Amino acid sequence: MTAEKTIVCRCEEVTLGTIQDTVQTYCCSSREVKLRTRAGMGYCGGRTCRHVIDRVVAEITKEPIKDEVQLSYRSPIRPATFAVLGGGKHDNES
Amino acid sequence: MTMRVDNHPVLGKQTDRKQVTIYFNGKPYEAYEGDTVASAMLAQGIYALRQHEVSGKERGIYCNIGHCYECRVKLEKRKVVRACITPIYNGMEIGSLTGFDERGE
Repeated sequence: MTAEKTIVCRCEEVTLGTIQDTVQTYCCSSREVKLRTRAGMGYCGGRTCRHVIDRVVAEITKEPIKDEVQLSYRSPIRPATFAVLGGGKHDNES
Repeated sequence: MTMRVDNHPVLGKQTDRKQVTIYFNGKPYEAYEGDTVASAMLAQGIYALRQHEVSGKERGIYCNIGHCYECRVKLEKRKVVRACITPIYNGMEIGSLTGFDERGE
């Protein structure tokens, strides 16, 4: 079954099979898939898999993807060290 | 043997670039001015820049445009940078974040 080997969320290593099962058993939105499987919660902040999750969920639940953002962008939108968060010297890289 | 493209069909011969040395997990590697960390390591045949924190699988360049953070490496003991957009300089010390221990086994 290739779905089990297809990685959707690289940061958290969540496979397509896991996401499909989650949507089928709980018939949930992509936000709930994110909360249940951590897909989209990784280091990259969902940049890589956000749209894939939306598409997979829409394909199974047959509901069109809504206009507003389903998997919201959470701060810090870019990884930040505690030095930066603590008001230390700020440079463009974490 | 290096994977570096010396004679590019469009860019032509890559000759006038100064060679420098960068260190990855303690080992010296040859690189050229104008490389990014990711391209310099790739040219030396090093694909794995870090290991996944949970599964330990090797990870390296994925998007190569600073978008996905798969290529994040430790820079000079304190900073964490994206290898694909960080230009190299002579004597640069890079370490992989997890998995490989300091001696780089």
